[in-house]
Amino acid sequence: MIDKQKVAEAIYKAIDEVNQQLPQDRRLPQSPDTVLAGPAASLDSLGLVNLIVVTEEMIEEEFDQLINIADQKAMSQENSPFRTVGTLTEYIASLLQETADVAL
Amino acid sequence: MSHYKCLCISDFNIDNLAGYLNNQVQPSVSTTVAPYGQVIQTLMNEQAEYWQEKFNLALVWTQPHNVIKAFQHALNYENISLEKVLDEVDTFASVLLNAAGRVDFMLVPSWVIPSYNRGYGMLDLKPGIGLNHMLMHMNLRLAERLSQANNVFMLNTQRWIEVAGRQAFNPKLWYMAKVPFGNPVFKEAVNDIKAALAGISGQTKKLVIVDLDDTLWGGIVGDLGWENISLGGHDLAGEAFVDFQTALKSLTNRGLVLGIVSKNSEEVALTAIKNHPEMVLKIDDFAGWRINWQDKAQNVADLVTELNLGLQSVVFIDDNPVERARVREALPEVFVPEWPADKSLYTKTLMELTCFDTASISHEDKSRAEMYVTERKRNDLRQQMGSLDDWLKTLEISVKVEPLNPTNLPRTAQLLNKTNQMNLSTRRMTETELQAWLESGDRQLWTFRVADRFGDSGLTGIISLDVVDGAGQIIDFILSCRVMGRKVEETMLATAVNYAQSIGLKHVYAQYIPTAKNKPCLEFWQRSGFEQNGQNDTFMWNAANCYCVPEHVTIQTEEA
Repeated sequence: MIDKQKVAEAIYKAIDEVNQQLPQDRRLPQSPDTVLAGPAASLDSLGLVNLIVVTEEMIEEEFDQLINIADQKAMSQENSPFRTVGTLTEYIASLLQETADVAL
Repeated sequence: MSHYKCLCISDFNIDNLAGYLNNQVQPSVSTTVAPYGQVIQTLMNEQAEYWQEKFNLALVWTQPHNVIKAFQHALNYENISLEKVLDEVDTFASVLLNAAGRVDFMLVPSWVIPSYNRGYGMLDLKPGIGLNHMLMHMNLRLAERLSQANNVFMLNTQRWIEVAGRQAFNPKLWYMAKVPFGNPVFKEAVNDIKAALAGISGQTKKLVIVDLDDTLWGGIVGDLGWENISLGGHDLAGEAFVDFQTALKSLTNRGLVLGIVSKNSEEVALTAIKNHPEMVLKIDDFAGWRINWQDKAQNVADLVTELNLGLQSVVFIDDNPVERARVREALPEVFVPEWPADKSLYTKTLMELTCFDTASISHEDKSRAEMYVTERKRNDLRQQMGSLDDWLKTLEISVKVEPLNPTNLPRTAQLLNKTNQMNLSTRRMTETELQAWLESGDRQLWTFRVADRFGDSGLTGIISLDVVDGAGQIIDFILSCRVMGRKVEETMLATAVNYAQSIGLKHVYAQYIPTAKNKPCLEFWQRSGFEQNGQNDTFMWNAANCYCVPEHVTIQTEEA
């Protein structure tokens, strides 16, 4: 089983990185409920791209696995995995699980 | 200057860099980002809306294949001559130089191509073929052309790429957001940009104070004896200490002054410095020291006062975290870098410090360390003399007075922007602004080069006079702390008053503008002989009276 807490911590590290570029009033809190995309999000499109890229780097560092978060599959899902930190955590955990299953 | 308004001009999405610039530490920067991909249009169209706002700084960061079309062909392995590429570089440089006139400073990161582009591989540095060979020429040509302007500085992008390592280029960022570099590149760029701005603002550190035991050498000299400290030899720590001393000594060649603050017996410590055969740093490399068992923060403050410097110009290096914390707490203006426990990292840590950047390096900078050492010798002599006048007579002071000219302009602007203590009005101006001010009225500015029997202190004084309605107002009265108290101050006033008399002015006056640091200037004016109007710190001299050059000063003058 993939440790979802470790996935969430990798995303929080990415949030720390992205916050360094954002003005105080737009910084993201480290919470599963933090909204990442959509009308209620404080991140603009560049901010979301940054978060995706840095999260991929953090996941590689933590799990020693290359993942592609922003692929066609994610973009075409009816419920976008980028809605909140919580949904992104679930999505990344499922990608890591798929890789682990293939390896078996 | 404490705040910079920066216009970022780029052919890629530079918002990530702008975000870091806005958020990171002093000096503070607020950025405006011009639309990306319109570099030439933005630079050339001075009617564009961005240029209606006054920016202190422009950052122009481009990719070589976008602004040098011939290089794009070269990247496609087409047969392109170096001359054709360099012609385009010259044209681009002209556009940059023209736009640089609209800002105080322009920063231009050098061109790079992604490190995953291997070009011609083993032929890539071969003249007439290699892409990197061509790119190196392009960067050199651009640097040479841009050096025509004193307010344009090229920054080394390649260093940022190397620091960022494998995260330097991220194709996903490029395809999703038109950002060619990974964020670690931008972070390192921001460190260099902020260091450049601190240097431009005159916040460069001037004095490095070091501890001795386990900082300049390994072990406690008081316990081991100087023969047994770890220094040199075939030993990791010993070699690392020699390299660290060599790096410190090298800093003195670019204008840094060294001092010692150490808890030790002075006699024991100085004996080690004098006698140990592997000591790179000698007694004459240090402008001063406090070696005793007193509080280090107090010792740092005393040494800085003795050297006539401000605490904000000091770096304190000590291996002991408790001493570092003590100095940080007691003297927050002093920069105390975190220091590694691993001796092999000392030199690297010193070389990574960004606090030594300057916008120019003058002759005075390069010989600063030597000047401070001779100052220590002067003071030793002073201790032996009975009175101040006796001491001053023995110095054989000579002052060369020159009007502002192209040769002394860079040093004059540097002095204007860096001097805090003996500074009447603390105006900060670029070379261009200073020259424009001088030419826009009935104004004079004299520079003062000071020498004595111990050596040449270089251009260390400035006085400027604005003539309005039959009176002369002294606008700038600036003297480097390294020559304060040797009657050069009175010599400067005599120069201004003599000029006022020669053109028939009735009065010469000065308005003291207080800052947090220029109280020594007020104290001088209060004993200068000028009559003080206590209400507003104005000082007046009746130009009918002679203001004499001090007896022991010999003047050399040069006509405007």
